Amino acid sequence: MDAVTAAPSKISLRGVTHSYTLRRPHEGKHTFQALGGVDLDVKPGEFLAVVGPSGCGKSTLLDILAGLSIPTSGEVLIDGKKVTGPALDRGIVLQGYALFPWRTTRENIEFGLEVKHVPKHLRREISDRFIRMVGLEGFEKRLPHELSGGMKQRVALARALAFDPEILLMDEPFAAVDAQTRETLQDELLRIWEETRKTVIFVTHSIEEAVFLADRVAILAANPGRVREVVDIDLKRPRDAAHLRTSEAFAALRHRVWTSLQQGNRPE
Amino acid sequence: MSRAPSLEAPAQRATTAPRLRAAALRCSGILGFAVLWELASRLRWIDPTFAPALSTVVVTIGRLIASGALLTHICISAGRALAGLALGLLIAVPAGLVLARWTPRARLVLDPFLRVLSQVNPFSLMPVFLLFFGSGELVKITTVGWVAIWPILFYTLTAITTVDPILLKTGRSMALSERELVLRVILPASVPTLFVGLRIAAGLVFFMLIAAEMLGTNGGLGWLVHNSAMNYQIPGIYAGSLLVTLLGFGLHRGLIALERHLSPRAGAALPTVPGARRPAAVAGPPPRPSASAVPTPSRWSAVAEQEST
Repeated sequence: MDAVTAAPSKISLRGVTHSYTLRRPHEGKHTFQALGGVDLDVKPGEFLAVVGPSGCGKSTLLDILAGLSIPTSGEVLIDGKKVTGPALDRGIVLQGYALFPWRTTRENIEFGLEVKHVPKHLRREISDRFIRMVGLEGFEKRLPHELSGGMKQRVALARALAFDPEILLMDEPFAAVDAQTRETLQDELLRIWEETRKTVIFVTHSIEEAVFLADRVAILAANPGRVREVVDIDLKRPRDAAHLRTSEAFAALRHRVWTSLQQGNRPE
Repeated sequence: MSRAPSLEAPAQRATTAPRLRAAALRCSGILGFAVLWELASRLRWIDPTFAPALSTVVVTIGRLIASGALLTHICISAGRALAGLALGLLIAVPAGLVLARWTPRARLVLDPFLRVLSQVNPFSLMPVFLLFFGSGELVKITTVGWVAIWPILFYTLTAITTVDPILLKTGRSMALSERELVLRVILPASVPTLFVGLRIAAGLVFFMLIAAEMLGTNGGLGWLVHNSAMNYQIPGIYAGSLLVTLLGFGLHRGLIALERHLSPRAGAALPTVPGARRPAAVAGPPPRPSASAVPTPSRWSAVAEQEST
């Protein structure tokens, strides 16, 4: 057995399906299948991006990973143990920031630590570290509405990292910020990921973002959602935005993912 | 590149002169009315027997203060109003929480009934209230509490059912128990909407209180007004009314201050629509320089600061 196959998966999805039952007044019951059998393995410390057409169940998949939805069939294993609900071994970052508007930057970051009953002086120490990590020194006492979109997302990221989860689940986290801020945040996310070595699952609708960030890109197909293909992104790290984004290797991979997505979009 | 842009730069403080002018402008309506009142009575545009001049009313207030009676009346009225509000809060907030969060079906069934019940005027049922609660303090506080319950209850229901789902999702993803979710997410997120109900309740409480005090004979500003009327002491009527107005206004301001303390965010009076969905600002400049111009961000706070003397 060689080293690669021997390495245990951090996260394993085994035939995960998810169906909703819709009841409409005149049409009776409808069963809508959002996910139709997803198999996926993620290695410890890996950065996996998930792309797919709208309605392919990307967000459902993330909800299931977070333990917020229960799969209709199949199972999710983390370190070989079945996921039965949410826990602090996973941190989530959502598109809409989801900051608590009545809490300052620091208080938002310390939220998960309060839930874990971390004593106050320790909370302070930890939040200081993450405030520095995301570059928000001097903004500790700001309320979310006093921050720009990019800064809010930094707070959300710091909040998810602060309680030290092993896995980071990110659902289109940079979709609501402008293009420039987005690139800055991507660079910073890579830097932080290299510092912290979390296992990351990053859902996005941007092919460029997926290729730039990830070790592998999982391409989903819709109706029902399933994994069409997983593309290895063998670009060397640390990734240098200025050179990488204009390189031929980057363009080729981007095209490869795009082609695969196009096939998925074709009606079958 | 990684550093966030500085927000420290923009003007720290609005200059005092324009703020003073704005405050003067805001008070000019009240001052104008006071002058008009004084003139109308002095120049006999209206009969001073029925509408004594403001100065006469103020002198009456001064006399009442000197006699020591006034403070007692004020304390009695304020005490009853606060007790009524507290009663409303203690019943309506837990009831709203239970109905909205844990028994949605019961809420569906009870909602029309509660809406009808809320329209019951305690004065039409005063004999019944008197039978149940006697003629003392209790009947006044329950009457007042009755009107306070409804706006607080309905706004609590709205507040709890309209908590931004993304905040609930965040809380649930951190494995919060239902209790923690309620205490750490749902209730704090409900504060701004809940306070709209509380402010409405505070207004109603004062209307009801004065009427309720006219029925009793044991003090309070409503009794003062009523007693003055019975004894043809017309300035006393105005003095009492003026004080009732000031007390109501004071309570309103107090609630705003409390809300600002509990939920220090801009547009606190606006329920839903979290700031999160606002179009993102461009990377460079701060999103809203005004945020640093007014240190306390509430829209209400700006008003309060200008009006406080």
